[in-house]
Amino acid sequence: MFSKNNSTIVALSTPQGFGGLSVVRLSGSKSLDIIKKIFTSSREIKHYRATFGQIYDLDDNSHLDSSVVTYFKAPRSYTGEDIIEISCHGSPYITERIVALCIKSGAQLADPGEFTKRAFLNGKIDLIQAEGTADLIFSLTKASHKASINLLEGKTGQAIKDCRKTLIDTIALLELELDFSEEEIEFTPVSKIISILSGLTKEINRLIQSYNYGKMVKQGFLVPIVGPPNSGKSSLLNAFLQEERVIVSPHPGTTRDTIEESFQKGGFQFRLIDTAGLRKTDDSIEGLGISRTLDNIDKADIILFIIDVTRPVIEFLPYFPKNANNIIVVINKIDIASEKQVNAMTKYFQKKDMVMTSAKKHSGIHEIADIMVLTAKSKAPKAENVIITRKRHRDALSKALNSIIESLDNAKNERSSEIIVVDLRIALEALDEILGKTTNEDILNTIFSNFCIGK
Amino acid sequence: MFHVKHTDYDIIVVGGGHAGAEASLAAARMGMSTLLITLEKSAISRMSCNPAIGGLAKGHLVCEIDALGGEMAKVIDKTGIQFKMLNRSKGRAVWSPRAQADKIAYPEEMRRSIDSEENLSVLEDCATGVIIKGSIVAGVLTEKNSSISCKALIITCGTFLNGLIHIGLSHFSGGRMGERSAFRLTKSLAEIGIFSGRLKTGTPPRLKTSSIDFEKTEPQYGDEHPVPFSFQTTHFNPINVPCHITHTNPTTHSILFTGLDRSPLYTGVIKSIGPRYCPSIEDKIVRFKERSFHQIFLEPEWKDSDETYVNGFATSLPVDIQTTAIHSIPGLDNAEIIRPGYAIEYDYFPSCQLYRTLETKKIECLYIAGQVNGTSGYEEAAALGLIAGINASLKIRGDKPFILKRSEAYIGVLIDDLITKSPDEPYRMFTSSAEYRLLLRFNNSDIRLSPKGGEIGLLPKCFSSSSQSKRLISKEAFSFLKKTHLSPSEANSILSSLSENKVQSGISLFKILCRHNVNFSDIEKHLPSRILNKIKKYPHFEDQIETDVKYDGYINKQIRSINSLRKHEETIIPKNTDYLKISSITIEAREKLSKIRPETLGQASRIPGVSPADVTSLMILLKN
Repeated sequence: MFSKNNSTIVALSTPQGFGGLSVVRLSGSKSLDIIKKIFTSSREIKHYRATFGQIYDLDDNSHLDSSVVTYFKAPRSYTGEDIIEISCHGSPYITERIVALCIKSGAQLADPGEFTKRAFLNGKIDLIQAEGTADLIFSLTKASHKASINLLEGKTGQAIKDCRKTLIDTIALLELELDFSEEEIEFTPVSKIISILSGLTKEINRLIQSYNYGKMVKQGFLVPIVGPPNSGKSSLLNAFLQEERVIVSPHPGTTRDTIEESFQKGGFQFRLIDTAGLRKTDDSIEGLGISRTLDNIDKADIILFIIDVTRPVIEFLPYFPKNANNIIVVINKIDIASEKQVNAMTKYFQKKDMVMTSAKKHSGIHEIADIMVLTAKSKAPKAENVIITRKRHRDALSKALNSIIESLDNAKNERSSEIIVVDLRIALEALDEILGKTTNEDILNTIFSNFCIGK
Repeated sequence: MFHVKHTDYDIIVVGGGHAGAEASLAAARMGMSTLLITLEKSAISRMSCNPAIGGLAKGHLVCEIDALGGEMAKVIDKTGIQFKMLNRSKGRAVWSPRAQADKIAYPEEMRRSIDSEENLSVLEDCATGVIIKGSIVAGVLTEKNSSISCKALIITCGTFLNGLIHIGLSHFSGGRMGERSAFRLTKSLAEIGIFSGRLKTGTPPRLKTSSIDFEKTEPQYGDEHPVPFSFQTTHFNPINVPCHITHTNPTTHSILFTGLDRSPLYTGVIKSIGPRYCPSIEDKIVRFKERSFHQIFLEPEWKDSDETYVNGFATSLPVDIQTTAIHSIPGLDNAEIIRPGYAIEYDYFPSCQLYRTLETKKIECLYIAGQVNGTSGYEEAAALGLIAGINASLKIRGDKPFILKRSEAYIGVLIDDLITKSPDEPYRMFTSSAEYRLLLRFNNSDIRLSPKGGEIGLLPKCFSSSSQSKRLISKEAFSFLKKTHLSPSEANSILSSLSENKVQSGISLFKILCRHNVNFSDIEKHLPSRILNKIKKYPHFEDQIETDVKYDGYINKQIRSINSLRKHEETIIPKNTDYLKISSITIEAREKLSKIRPETLGQASRIPGVSPADVTSLMILLKN
């Protein structure tokens, strides 16, 4: 941890593999020296300019690649250090050689995330933006992209900073009364303090509520397919696999015991999970599977409850999760059912979201997906609002909220300011945990800039 | 030449202001042969600015000085001419005593204490340099006596180092109006690596009392039942001399505006920073243009004095502007100015160079305390002087240093803030700076600190042991109040008369006392005489118990927070840590940490620019 301080780091910044172009990035004080050792051009390398030239392999002086080099001079770069970006042809051999040549010329291989870490350590981005960068790189859908961009642009930070400012202003008003009561200042009535704090709890509450949606956006909506055995769960999953563009799950580990596949639609990501069929059993292994299914129902964002329309209602009725929200009832096997059977079932579920399918024949799959998108949209907060996607942020906000509520109670009970302030300061600490700040001076600064102090 | 084994004195204190007085008294009382060097004997403990001691948060400092065995509280109790408890409408944690001082009697009384101290000598001279041997203090050079050797040196020079007084655009050298400043000491300290900065402060004009028409002002008296600062003071019956309130008006403000082109502040002659909480009147009218008047307190400088202090009217405008502006204020139409207001710039030594003992990090046995630390106020200075005096003595004795934590005393907050925040304006104590203020009350200072004062041998044992018994009585009372329940009818007879909500079922005395309007006296008849008599033995002790009860839940909350941070506070950072090489913390944090060199992780966490993430990284490093 003590080393590497002044080192120059290098890494391939685009994915491994073949492509039209790849980018190798250098950051550190020696970036310019290093590139000059391996790159020649008729033009001089200048700040914010792209320079075309040739890269030569130091080992045998052979021509390695024709590349474009872009220079960002410190501190006006992403990391705050001198950065060189080498756009070369996208061959694993070329990129590997360029990285090796840079290392040979004095660079060190960067650790994962080290460019962003340096940007953070050099004060170019704050903690929240650093988290945003990580999220942005891994964002798969439009909605999660938007959430990460909000983090990166500092909108999430700004929303929390706004709350922090309100909090500091309120604390300053209360402290003013305690430390400057001898001054000729009109103090704020407690009713005003109460109304500011109530407003603040609403805003923080909104941010906290957005976490559930934020989590869904970031991790994908969890959609277990549940129902009695042989109702067609696996067939339905297979139908999705073929009908919708299914991608490899980005969450290894979650699928160890259950089959999970992800697909995107309407800017959202959905994680479909095949579960053990629900029925009474004495088999302990099957029992474990069923209890996992029940667990999935609890955690689900959307439930696909699938029934074999040809079977009597009594078979699945005990297992229907009556209290769960966002159930889509999938009435399967309509290709082999009688009209009477279908009518009975639709009548039974007329108040629910319901789709007639034949998983076997892939009919009704798009309709299910459409309802899933609508459900996801209905959970989204208003478009302009910032959402919280990180548990760290949610937990700190909850802590802040609880403290503010306590101070509100004290204010309503007309307790003295020094008591009301205790919990507000705890709330402030919680917000500072998210923003990575240390406080105290800010309160006095607010007092001095807003009030005429000094008799 | 300096290889002397026997020194002339154990401790030398340079500067006889409020810091110097406490430092030299503490050292002498702790058995050190002590020399106080001052420019003028009669100026010891002189009040350069307002004739008052205490005030919000400052009153807490005075009580803490007292509990440790310092002098300030006892002297003001004996000589004060008006006493008032501030913030009475708020909770008891933020109540703070304040007194109008008698500028003649106060220094006289302090002189008596100093003169009666066997181990303490006073020398009228001017220190010009510090003698060191290796990196340890060996003595001091003076104008008249060449060199005097010592084991520890405490610098308490207030505003006297290269003091420059401004009135209008003219300025001249001086440490206080009518007194010389000291020139060579700053340079001598710079040569041994102690760097300095410049600060500014100011004072208002003094008026001839007999030329003021008090009919046009509003008198303001102190409390009818005054409370003393010192827990040792008995038979307290001070006089109650009023102050008078008047106001500036738009005419005053327009006169002041016409003088801004000759203001050293607004023409850039004064570049150093002054205290924001004590702005000059010109600052107030410029920054808060919308206000059509400002309050002015006319305070007597001493009992029956013909000199009045114009509180709220600090200024460094030219004398002609001061005079016309003063004459526009009701009651001051014909007021005669005895001394004009002025601003003063002086050298200070940023406290980041100090350990929490106030010893410098560079030179062993060299202590710097008082306004030269970058503070303002008599009380802050006295507290710092006391701590320097105590620590210099402990160091010579070979005992462990005396450090007060933020959770133990306002003095702890004061010193910690000075070191970690290294403020660039004169620092004043505020209650809001003390995060544990519910625990740190003026009226429990003795319980909090007198055992410590006794332990270091500064406070006589009889006083420190009484706080031990108070602690036990308080515990006994607490458990009685908690376990004793009143029937609804008994409880409601108390509650209804105090317009508190009635209860349906039985309730403990503790819970009744928790209620906002209920005082200790309302429930005391339910206490057995064996407990009550013990409580009544100590003055105002029932108030302390009542406060502890009322804050109970919150005090527990603060204690939990102290405990959770204890680990940080106790984690020592090695002195030789090379912060610039720690790549896992931000550049800004590396620079700040190298400058301040915190002693503990707790200190590091309070340095502005050091984020919680930086602290976590440091913590991980220290563990490995």
